[in-house]
Amino acid sequence: MNKQPWRPIDMTLAAMFAALMAIGANVSAYLTIGGVPITFQLLFAILAGVLLGSRLGAASMTLYMLIGLVGMPVFAQFKGGIGHVISPTFGFVVSFIAVAYAVGKVVERKSDPTIRTYLFAGACGLFLNYLIGAHYMYAAYTLWFEAPGGFNYLLTWSWMAAYLPIDTGVVVAAALIAPKVKKVVLEARPAV
Amino acid sequence: MFKNIIIGQYIPGTSMIHGMDPRAKLIVVFVFIINLFIANQFVSFSLLTLYVLGAFFLSKVPIRFFLKGLRLIAIIIVVTFLLHLFMTREGEPLFSVGFLTVYEGGVKQGAMISLRLFLLVVMTSMLTLTTTPIALTDGLESLFNPLKKFGVPVYEFALMMSISLRFIPTLLMETEKIMKAQMARGANFLHGSLVKRVKAFVPVLVPLFIQAFKRADELATAMESRGYQGGAERTRFRQQNWRGLDTFVLLTVVALMFIVLALRWLS
Repeated sequence: MNKQPWRPIDMTLAAMFAALMAIGANVSAYLTIGGVPITFQLLFAILAGVLLGSRLGAASMTLYMLIGLVGMPVFAQFKGGIGHVISPTFGFVVSFIAVAYAVGKVVERKSDPTIRTYLFAGACGLFLNYLIGAHYMYAAYTLWFEAPGGFNYLLTWSWMAAYLPIDTGVVVAAALIAPKVKKVVLEARPAV
Repeated sequence: MFKNIIIGQYIPGTSMIHGMDPRAKLIVVFVFIINLFIANQFVSFSLLTLYVLGAFFLSKVPIRFFLKGLRLIAIIIVVTFLLHLFMTREGEPLFSVGFLTVYEGGVKQGAMISLRLFLLVVMTSMLTLTTTPIALTDGLESLFNPLKKFGVPVYEFALMMSISLRFIPTLLMETEKIMKAQMARGANFLHGSLVKRVKAFVPVLVPLFIQAFKRADELATAMESRGYQGGAERTRFRQQNWRGLDTFVLLTVVALMFIVLALRWLS
């Protein structure tokens, strides 16, 4: 895990991206449609993988989770604090680590990533996002909320299905803007 | 719109709990949560409730800040209670409303689980209400220090967390500035379809990302030009200091654990 040393630029990039994620989670204040708050978390997690690569992307999402847990209100709807661990939706915060890592891995494999690469990477990310998020939610309801009877595994997934169209849109949007953002951001940087 | 994120949850104060070592607070809250899940007796829950009440009065944090934290899962707690009330069929039937019958076991089960969650949220809020995020970061770093032996970059993560915490307000202000600049150019974030609004955000995201990368570059250059070296024998700017009080509070929560365990075995 600690094979490569952490250069200052690695650390500052991961830290800035964690801060960006905090903003991405909450710019949604402007984007509530039909009571479903849209967050840019998934978009930012995918972009973290694209721009920072697997290692730093995953590191930045881990940082995001940690700064939320120590009490900065950085999770969606300005939530934060260690108590958030028991929230059924905390699994999504955890899943972003996997999302950024997977997206980074897929993109790193290609020397010249195309929109198709980004789409595939985003789809892998979305899959992990749902897989981890849904299982955490299920675990939350069965283990510590001890929901009786009626609640089962299928119900969790039917909830998730409601968000699928929007999230698929996010993945497509991410794939479309990723090359542009990557190009512009890398051009604006001095060679490190 | 971003006002509350800058302040965080910390409520400044000079109480006994504010003055405790963050490491002690982290361990105490952790042990307390274990206690909550061991407890299965009325007496245990009364003791745990008293403990939380004591901490609440000692912390001198106004109750409304706790209520704010509770909003988070208040609905889930209530729903859980109601579900147990009507779905658990154990013990004597107490009364029935229409086709629903409330059993004694349901009331007990529901009350226990909701009280457990309630106490958990209050206790964890106490931690973040009385400790700054940066102090908690330092506390976590020294608690996880032994993991360094297994190659976990504990020190690096603590440093990155401090940088993040420092730059969240800065990047927030930058976001607002960029949004205003784009609005002045006719961007519309508030109207139109979802696709339109998300599209309107792209001209915000790109400059924001560029800014973030620039800041990262500048900071890294600044660190390197000052001869930064990680992992070396670095001294600390913020010192932690474990006092007798910290040991005492830790002992009370451990004692509570033994009592709760004993009550569980005796039942």
